[in-house]
Amino acid sequence: MQRKAGWLDKFVDDLPSQGWFQFLSRHLVVPYWIWRDPKPVLPGGPRPSVQPSESVQRMMNLIMPLKDPSPIGRARAALAISQNVDEIFAGLDNVGTVHNARFLLLDGNICMLSVYDGDFSNYIRDFIATIGSVFDAVMKEVEGGDAMVPTTEHIEEFIDWVCAHDLFQAPDIATDLFNLQDAAKGIAPGSLPHDLRLLPRELILQLHSNPNISLGGGYRAYPGYSAAQVRQKFGVGW
Amino acid sequence: MGEQHRNLARKLVTALQRKDGDRKRRPVHTFGTGASGHFIPSPVAAGFCDAEHFRSPTPATIRFSNGSGSAVRRDGWSDVRGMATRFHLSDNKATDLIGMTLPVFFTPDGESFLKFAIEARPRPCQRATPWQKFRDMLRLTPPVPDPYDGETISPDAGAIAFAHQHDYARAGVFQAATIGAPQSYARAAYHAVHSFVATGADGTQRWVRFSWQPVSGVLTTDPEKDPVIDDYLQAELARRLRNGPALFSLMMQVGEVGDDFNDPTRAWPPHRVRIMMGTLYVEKMLDDVTTEKLSFNPHLLTRGIAPSDDPVLWVRKSAYEVSSGRRRGTPCPFHGER
Ligand code: HEM
Repeated sequence: MQRKAGWLDKFVDDLPSQGWFQFLSRHLVVPYWIWRDPKPVLPGGPRPSVQPSESVQRMMNLIMPLKDPSPIGRARAALAISQNVDEIFAGLDNVGTVHNARFLLLDGNICMLSVYDGDFSNYIRDFIATIGSVFDAVMKEVEGGDAMVPTTEHIEEFIDWVCAHDLFQAPDIATDLFNLQDAAKGIAPGSLPHDLRLLPRELILQLHSNPNISLGGGYRAYPGYSAAQVRQKFGVGW
Repeated sequence: MGEQHRNLARKLVTALQRKDGDRKRRPVHTFGTGASGHFIPSPVAAGFCDAEHFRSPTPATIRFSNGSGSAVRRDGWSDVRGMATRFHLSDNKATDLIGMTLPVFFTPDGESFLKFAIEARPRPCQRATPWQKFRDMLRLTPPVPDPYDGETISPDAGAIAFAHQHDYARAGVFQAATIGAPQSYARAAYHAVHSFVATGADGTQRWVRFSWQPVSGVLTTDPEKDPVIDDYLQAELARRLRNGPALFSLMMQVGEVGDDFNDPTRAWPPHRVRIMMGTLYVEKMLDDVTTEKLSFNPHLLTRGIAPSDDPVLWVRKSAYEVSSGRRRGTPCPFHGER
């Protein structure tokens, strides 16, 4: 026989929708767990893999905080892009491994989102070689960017900086978060038992360490093909 | 090997039998809804798999099901759903494709599934006390959902405890716990889970995994609302088919070196090449007597598709035969084979 729900059951069931309880959770419960069980910041970008379809159509979600997030600063960042359209297309045409790239102004950030094939540092290296001037124009508007201008002379630091500002890509299989968190602490994945019911908490705590993340590794309509294969198939050059 | 599988299969079928089940029915996926239709291969399908149904249009019989082995039909409860399809080939031959709404299985082989089935045997379940729920909230853990009206036993606690100890079970148990109920059998995606080896028209062999994608899209019921009626899926399908066929696209993922070919607990990343193999037209309802007698078997394959070495796929060959014999279904395609 099921126990009938009494007034106390209803009261507790209703707690998550109560403002005071949400306030308490946000300002007391979550900070307590952040203190008890801090999570290392998980690294950005796609995870290393030698498998062919993992090395094509990879995502970069680069979030760069603007020095001046006021409308004036944001307009300057917008200009840095719009004055360099020729440079950007020339770069895309020459690098040849990019499916698409776009820039967004999002609150106080300028964001570069792109889908590319192959190794991350080669991608950045190729881009700097061909459109270093665009990156220079952007970096001048970005916090901590001045030290890397001209980017052609600070290639390795620039790559590290980009890595640090590329969003962590949450695993496509939710439960793999346990393994990624273990790996970041030097624990072999799969060697510790994990209570599935704690997965939501692990995510909350991870979102404290990585406030902005990519939800999964992206959804592809034609997975497994490189930009070069697409162009070759359509006979549009290279 | 054969006898070993049969022994394990017998134990498995016994372990799957719920105490609130019905021995004259399937021990799992007990309630089903049958339909007939046909499959039209896509123009590229035969290039990737030379099987007959990927070369020419083929009649098909389909049984949709609720995963539970309870003898009471509960369409609105959160549960894995099944879609078993038989393609009727020429010369009275056939091939089956059995899918479910979970993309992965709970365990990597039959022995571990036996342990799982025993540990996750439905046990009495109760509404968590207010204090347990409050404690969970303070631990930032969603409280255990209240049992449905009329739910007295549940496999969930045992399955979660098993996944705590066995990391391979995590993905399956987590997804099963949150899977919900579909609005319609025609609005769910079904995965055949195991890897198979497909031989293309030019002789190239590829590791592949199949999924049915509903053309009308995936739609589940609102998990916040209690199910209104226990039995709606069959009537919904009948209504739907009166207005025209329900369509499913058969998608085939191509595996790569480094993927798990023999482990059904690991999904392949969604970045693998995906091929559209054809469209299934589900057209006419079948009567329940015919449907419930059907005996599918995931090993009923045809030239052009071969099984992988996945131990779960292999033990299923015997398990489905044992089960079909016990419930006196139409003889399993492997009935009598030694
Ligand atoms: C060791 C692993 C498994 C065992 C022992 C097992 C056992 C069974 C048994 C005994 C039946 C009833 C068969 C009958 O009486 O005709 C059944 C039905 C079914 N199983 Fe499994 N199963 C396993 C894995 C799977 C997997 C991986 C899937 C999904 C791909 C699956 C999907 C289904 C479906 C859809 C049905 C209903 C088939 C129908 O409509 O006739 N099972 N299973």
